This record gives sequence, C-alpha cells and structure tokens, in this order.
Amino acid sequence: MRSRSGAALLLVAWCARAAAGGDQLALDGELDLRWLHSSAEPSFLNGGVGTLRFDPGHEDVRLGRAFLAPRLRISDTVTLHAVVDAYGDHDRNPVDLSELWAEWRPFPTGAVRFRTRVGAFHMPISMENRGPGWSDVYTITPSALNTWLGEEFRTIGAEFEARWLGASRGYLGDFAFVAAAYGWNDPAGALVADRGFALTDRPSTLFGGLGRPPITFYHEIDRRPGYYAGLTWRHHDRLELRALRYDNRADPGAETEAGGGAWLTRFNSVGARLEPDRRCTLIAQYLDGETIIGPNSAGAGQFRMAYRAAFALASVEWSSDRLTVRYDDFHTHQLSGFYGSPADEAGHAWTLGWSHDLAEPWQLAAEWIRVSSHFAPRADYGVPILLVESQLQLALRYRLHVTL
Amino acid sequence: MAAPGLAGELSVTVVDRSGRGVGNVVVTAVPVEHGPAPARRAPSAAVMDQRNRAFVPQVLVVAVGSSVEFPNNDSVSHQVYSFSPAKRFQLPLYKGAHHDPVTFDAEGLVVLGCNIHDEMAGYIYVTAAPAFGTTDGDGTLRLQELAAGDYRVTIWSPLVADPPASLERVVHVAAQDPAISRIQLARGLRARPEPRPRRGDWEY
Repeated sequence: MRSRSGAALLLVAWCARAAAGGDQLALDGELDLRWLHSSAEPSFLNGGVGTLRFDPGHEDVRLGRAFLAPRLRISDTVTLHAVVDAYGDHDRNPVDLSELWAEWRPFPTGAVRFRTRVGAFHMPISMENRGPGWSDVYTITPSALNTWLGEEFRTIGAEFEARWLGASRGYLGDFAFVAAAYGWNDPAGALVADRGFALTDRPSTLFGGLGRPPITFYHEIDRRPGYYAGLTWRHHDRLELRALRYDNRADPGAETEAGGGAWLTRFNSVGARLEPDRRCTLIAQYLDGETIIGPNSAGAGQFRMAYRAAFALASVEWSSDRLTVRYDDFHTHQLSGFYGSPADEAGHAWTLGWSHDLAEPWQLAAEWIRVSSHFAPRADYGVPILLVESQLQLALRYRLHVTL
Repeated sequence: MAAPGLAGELSVTVVDRSGRGVGNVVVTAVPVEHGPAPARRAPSAAVMDQRNRAFVPQVLVVAVGSSVEFPNNDSVSHQVYSFSPAKRFQLPLYKGAHHDPVTFDAEGLVVLGCNIHDEMAGYIYVTAAPAFGTTDGDGTLRLQELAAGDYRVTIWSPLVADPPASLERVVHVAAQDPAISRIQLARGLRARPEPRPRRGDWEY
C-alpha cells in the first residue's frame, strides 16, 4: 500500500514537472532484424561449443535484439534509467531487464563534478559500447573482450565518479576517478573458464541465463563485496584513455547449497579511443587477469586460469555510412587444478562492419566475422580443438528516440 | 554617422602561425591615457543559444550589466551552469526559452557548462571596455567611432594557447586614418573539433 501511494506521488510529481516544460521521459529503443549466413560450429548459446552467436541451425531471418531504454527525470539532478531486452532465443525470460539504475548528478559548484549511480549497470570499460542500451556503434558484434564483459559482468551496487572539468581552468578536457562497490558477481569467470572467449552481441540479462543448459550470472555466494576503481582522461574531445582495476573479491572456496561456486576474478583493463577528426575513430583495448575457484587448501588442485584479450579497431564515417575493421586477439592459460584438458585457448578474429543510415529512423548494417580459436577442452566433447568459424549478418534496424 | 571627434577606426586582425585568420576571438580596446574614464558601452541584451550539444556562439562578449538569454533549440534538454567567480548561476533542466535572461554585472570570464553533457563548454566574456567585439571568419574586427588616442588592445579565445602577456598591444588611433593591428599567434591553436552527433544522452 505504501509503495503504491509512493508510486502515485512520484507520478504526480513527474506530471507536474512535465507540465512545467523539459523532457522528463526519454525513450530510446531498437528493433533489430537479421538475415544470417553461418559456417560456424553449433553455438554455445544453442548447446554447442561454437564461439559465434548464430550457427547453421539458426540461419535466415532472426531477431537480433529488441530493447527499450527509458530514462525518467525524477528531479533536476536525479534520473532513473532502465534497459529492457528481448533477444528471441531460449533464455528463460523472453523479456528481461539488463540494467536498472538511479543516477544523482548535482550541479557543479567548483571544478569537480560528482556523479553517483546506484542499481545494476555496465561498468565503464568498453570503448565500443557507447550507444543506447550499451549497443555497439561500430560493428554488430563487439570484440571478444567486450563480449565477455557483457556476458558475465554487471555492477549491482553503487558507483561514484569525481570528474575534474578542465574548461573552467582553460583546459579543453577532463579527468575522472571512478570507484564502485558491488555484490552478486560471484559466478563471474565461470563462462570464460568453461568455454573460452566468444564474439557475440548477446550480453546476459539480469535474471536470465546464457547457453543450454543456461548459466546464470548474478548471484551472491560469499557475502563479500567486490570493487572496481578506474581513471579516465579526456583530452580536447579527441582522445579518451581509460584504466580500470576490477576485483570481485570472491572467496573461491565458497559454495552454495546447490553446488554453485564463487569465482575469484580480477583483472586490469586499459582502453584508448582517438578521434583525430570528425570521420575517423581508432580504438584499442586490453584486459589481463585471472580467475580462481576451489578452496585455497586445495593447493595444486585449485583451479587457476590466466587470461588476456585485446583488440584494435579502425572506423571511418562519411555522409550516412560507416566502415569498420577490427582485429581481436585472446588467450587463456590454465595454471593449476587439472582434471581434463587444460583450459588453454589461443584465438584471433577479424571483423568487417558497415552501417548505412536510411531515412530516419531506419538503419542498415552488415558484418562479416571470422574467428579462429584453439581451445584444448573441446577435445573432451569430440570436437576439433581448432575451430575456424565465420558468420555473415545483415541487420535492418528501427531506432526509436522520443522525449515526452 | 560618426559622432564628431569620434572618427577613429581600429582594425584588429588575429592570425595563426601560418598567417590564416582566426575567427571568434574576443578583442577589447581600452584608452591608455589617464583622465576622465571613458564611457562604458551600454549594457545590451544578447543570446547564447544551444544547438547540437554546443553553445552557439561558443564565445560571446558583452558589456558589464548586460543580460543574456539562454534559449535551448537543441533536440535534448540542457542544464546550464557556471561556477566562475564573475557569475555563478544554474538553469534547471529545460528546452526552449524557459528561463528569464541572466544579468552579468561583474567583469570577467564566465565559463558555461551543461550538467548533462560534460563536453559542452561556452564562454561569456564580460568587459567594461568601451570598445569590443569578436573577429569574423577572416580573423578581423573593425572598431569604429573611437576617440583619437592610444588604446590597449587585448585578445582572448579559449583556443589561443599563447601566454596572456603576449596578447596585448598598445595601438595609436588617429582621427583620420584607420589604425591597423595584426596579431600573429606564436603557438598553435588548441584543437576543439565539433562534437559528433550522438543518439540520446547515453554514457558508458
């Protein structure tokens, strides 16, 4: 009852503000339909071991993604954001939340601006996923690195950012420090250890799962909060550098009654995006870390795996078109805890993307991707250790942006 | 018609290292000689628009006491603020011409920001100089109806990286011939590309 009257009050306050002018509700969204041609192994999303989203059993016309991303202004400095997704696959929730957060951004009273976010959201690492709903603005499929971040990571907690605004001191750029504390990220690491890296535009949703049987991600197992902390430097709107340290501080010996374990996952990540003029974009990103499961008392029986992933991307846009080429490189290396084949992977991928803005609100996008990966545990499933897979996609997108 | 005794003209041209004119540079001219303070220019009403996530113009120069309107003709809302000592203010979230004009009653540089779009920066240069303006696309500003005498000419732009001391000149303005001052910058301009079109207000 109390929550209902609270909601009614909120609605009244919002209507009053809306009547006073200004866009209180903004709605971004997209309906993305695909035509596909694949020469890949059955995808891990369909119970196979392939590293791409689609496979020869899932070709022709498919739903790429449908999402709605409303942003509601509660007051001048507080906004509420949500991203609601549907991917048209076998996820247990056909429609699910991917992000939901409240943001407080008080007016700056000096050269440092503060921002606090509370809820569930993507951490600020990816240099590619800068569109509404964490969409990739350069290619259909994000890099292996950012695919993984979208699959296994969500900040469910609070994040604080302090940003020094250079304009007030005659410097055309800014410098930011960001830090977050979060929970419910204890399974992070399980997927990359089990499968290796992949290249899909299928991030996890908050309550759903990926693969068959579905792996779910957002559980608190050991009651130990994790953290990340990072720095961002933006120079003249042309160069952006980001560095971030992530550590979920999981107790690798903790287990749920159902047998799910906590994965201690930590990594360092750096990224750079250079936009030398209005047309060109160059991006490079690198991530290096480890994941551990099993009690520390297990000694050499404790599973430990190191991993690193990197990519470089070049993109050029002119009139209504954008052309992008990207090279991905990714590796995992198991250090201890051997039971079967070592979780060692070496892979690389080439991605060629093109997009063309038709009359608003339509967009056409095409992508060819070829990934070559060598992952030892595939032998346990009777699949060749070395897979060379490719996928051609054509997307027709209806993009929504309205303000009320 | 020029007022009698105010027939002097001063033409200031700002060029970069390779001799190309630099537009949108603030130029002020203040008489050097002591004596009765010259008349300030009367306050006026000016407009600082917002379009495509940018302040338009990026640099506005006004006389002390002037009022400035901040219409938002962009497709998204803005929250304009300044914490500069010359004028602290904030305009809560709006679109269109929602707020009353803001009066700038102290001399100095007012740096404008938007609390939603950190990349937006605008500048209001509030001056007590009797003559001022901004250079055109060719880098030139003509100040007319000046009394004859020596003037201290000062230029300013957020893109100019030269030390401020090198951006001042004393120029003699005669009653008859136009005085010409050409200021060549020693350092390259700071780069500030146009903001790229973006969808929505998403930041990741």
